[in-house]
Amino acid sequence: MIAKIVCYALQGLEGVPVEVETDVAKGIPAYEMVGLPDAAVKESKERVRSAIKNSALLFPLGKITVNFAPADIRKEGAAFDLAVAISLLKASEQLVGARTQDTVFLGELALDGAVRPIAGLLPILISAKANGYTRFVIPAGNAKEAAYLGGAHIYPVRTLAEAVAFLTGSANIAPVAAAEFVPRAHAHRGADLKYVKGQPVARRALEIAVAGGHNLLLVGPPGTGKTMLARCLPTVMPDLSFEEALEITKIHSVAGTLGEEGIVSERPFRTPHHTATTVAMCGGGNRIVRPGEISLAHGGVLFLDELPEYKRSTLEALRQPLEDGRITVSRAGGTFTFPARFMLCASMNPCPCGNYGSADKVCTCSPAEIRRYRKKISGPLLDRIDLQVEVDNVPYDALTSAQQQEDSAAVRERVNVARSIQNVRFEGDGIRTNAEMGERELASFCRLSAEGEGILRAAFERMKLSARARSRILKVARTIADLAACEEILPAHVYEAVSYRLGDSLE
Amino acid sequence: MTQRCSRAGKLLVWLAACAEQDERSRADIARVCAYGLPSADLEKICAALIQTGKNRVYKDEHIAPEAEAEDFLARLARGGGYAVTLADADYPRELRAIPDPPLALFCAGRRELLCARKFCIVGARVLPAWAQATGKAISAALSQRFAVVTGIAEGGDRAAIDGALPSGNLICVLPCGLDVDYPASHASLKREIAKKGLLVSEFPPGMRAQKFSFHARNRVLAGLSQGVLVLAAGQKSGTLITADRALAYGREVFALPHNAGAAQGVGCNELIKQGAFLCTGAEDILSAFGMQADGGHPAELTADEQKMLDVLRLSGEEHAALLAQRAGVPVWEAQATLASLELKGLAVRAGGNRYAPLQK
Repeated sequence: MIAKIVCYALQGLEGVPVEVETDVAKGIPAYEMVGLPDAAVKESKERVRSAIKNSALLFPLGKITVNFAPADIRKEGAAFDLAVAISLLKASEQLVGARTQDTVFLGELALDGAVRPIAGLLPILISAKANGYTRFVIPAGNAKEAAYLGGAHIYPVRTLAEAVAFLTGSANIAPVAAAEFVPRAHAHRGADLKYVKGQPVARRALEIAVAGGHNLLLVGPPGTGKTMLARCLPTVMPDLSFEEALEITKIHSVAGTLGEEGIVSERPFRTPHHTATTVAMCGGGNRIVRPGEISLAHGGVLFLDELPEYKRSTLEALRQPLEDGRITVSRAGGTFTFPARFMLCASMNPCPCGNYGSADKVCTCSPAEIRRYRKKISGPLLDRIDLQVEVDNVPYDALTSAQQQEDSAAVRERVNVARSIQNVRFEGDGIRTNAEMGERELASFCRLSAEGEGILRAAFERMKLSARARSRILKVARTIADLAACEEILPAHVYEAVSYRLGDSLE
Repeated sequence: MTQRCSRAGKLLVWLAACAEQDERSRADIARVCAYGLPSADLEKICAALIQTGKNRVYKDEHIAPEAEAEDFLARLARGGGYAVTLADADYPRELRAIPDPPLALFCAGRRELLCARKFCIVGARVLPAWAQATGKAISAALSQRFAVVTGIAEGGDRAAIDGALPSGNLICVLPCGLDVDYPASHASLKREIAKKGLLVSEFPPGMRAQKFSFHARNRVLAGLSQGVLVLAAGQKSGTLITADRALAYGREVFALPHNAGAAQGVGCNELIKQGAFLCTGAEDILSAFGMQADGGHPAELTADEQKMLDVLRLSGEEHAALLAQRAGVPVWEAQATLASLELKGLAVRAGGNRYAPLQK
């Protein structure tokens, strides 16, 4: 008898249906797998054999052929184990009358018959649901993740025996209850702007950066709290919508970095070390292509600490995703596109010794050394960083005016207001934030008064700004005006935007 | 085109470029030249140098010095340069007056600057942001009346270059041959100076910068100029040598005052203690030479800007957050106001979100 069981394989962030066909024929006992399975899938032979035996079921004797269709997609990983086992049992007539034709089976088997959780469950469920499947048997360990799918019957199983009992009707399993998405439900405690002492200039820059979706460069001596400031970025960013959360969770599910919670409820904050390779950063892999750090930072923040230490080629690879908001990775196994719309936050020392611009410490670097250090970051990359601000070690006691340190929630409220202004402005334009404005939008939304133009001209002459700096200043000025709920860009807004062009005055 | 040169001039070029001279022979030659241009005496000196042999640096000794000089001048001209010797009428008068003037100056650029009034601005390679900005402003103002003389290094030299280059009234004296890019990062800047201003070196092309050549160059800086302004100098800065030479040659010395205890300004304060003019702006220098400073219309300031400027001048170099606190405005407004002051040339960013006032 031939049995057909539906399973799903992962291709990038999409699931594609794979039919597991099993034939048990009379003959010399043999066990073959065909249909382009990779090593991990082939190894499922032994796992499945042991799991069936140890679940008090019968491993069929005879010539067994397992086929994965379609045969032209390479199947990877252990997620097919459960489907293979079920199809074997069905083919050997141990599941008579069980409802398997419209059910998708996912899960890895342990030798004792336990069902282990798999990576990439959520994207598979979403794809399968789009293909019309609404009945799933999944590992119990993935239940939390599956709870956010909605509109489907999802049965979590702990063991193969439990799955068989459920299918033959001898036991009942409660389907996964739909969970309601709560933004920041699992936010990591600790980072909050109220713990950042002083740093009024950097705090302001942070607020502007988030409000307008601008990338941010923090320049300052070691130990001034650059990393701490950066960690606060997700806390002031607007709440995730459910759709965004699902999209982000899909990526993290595929990468296997999804936590216990089963969904990403807070904006990601990724901090790849400066030894990270281009592949680690952008995604890739041998045959199966996994998302890189920039995709894991999708919807959140990619924080590059000590920017000049990163390999130049790695940094240059960020340029195109920064523009497009996604990355396309081509490998032998196919071409995959991952979303990568992230906010880039980078930090660096002002000079090799770190003391340039310090009030109390002497910088021992020569101007040539400082220039060499800063030249490690290419102009085109700096171009994409609208805000460049100094983080300094002004003594906290010096600011005694009992300035209440605002917490992240207060800042977030202002950010939300500025974002809603932008949502109205860019309605139907295909962009969301000021930072994404092109020349056309700049011309229509960032018109300056004669006085504002005069300031820009003076800034160009005095600070020797590059032509490309103009659009960056305009975008930042637009965001500053939005934060002030101001229709027009006032001279003060332009001046403030100019003051964040640190990199240009240093070049 | 190879420049035409008198016989005495050729001998001087030969002596400067092809023979090794010491301070003493230079002084001898200078003394000879002070009384007209007796090429017979020069010939004697040349013959003596040839005879001792060891002083001759290169070339076949059967070739006469004049022929060798002509050859050298032709090569110099191919690189866009020319030589100005003690035998030339436009050899700078001020430089002629020092005890050991260079026999020849190898130049590229505007020759007429050699005869202009000249004023020297120098400073250490690393100097505070305000001193850099002030130096640039003074250089820009002086370049309307003087040719600004300076070196070609980072820091103080760069401030003088940035100020004077737009007007082209700029003479850069190199511690190396004209064709040597020192410092390498200023190679394109050097070409621009050769186009708009004047490059000067007493060393033949190909010579690299060496310790002694900086000392020699500093004497030319001081010797060329009617006065020297020191922007910043540490305890043992090379710029102090320039100031010292200027004093020895009877030129005026000016210095920017620095905070007591600031390591980058110890040398300047020391100069002032010893009697150098205290200089805070171009008008101090102009009035010392009996010139009137251009009235210069003060920048128009808004009430906020004026208030911030007052706070800044009271505080001196200070952090933006503290300035904001003292002016009673939020820090981002202070940032905007300070940026506007910076654009108007009344303040300068000193690094680490600190700002310093500038005089105008």
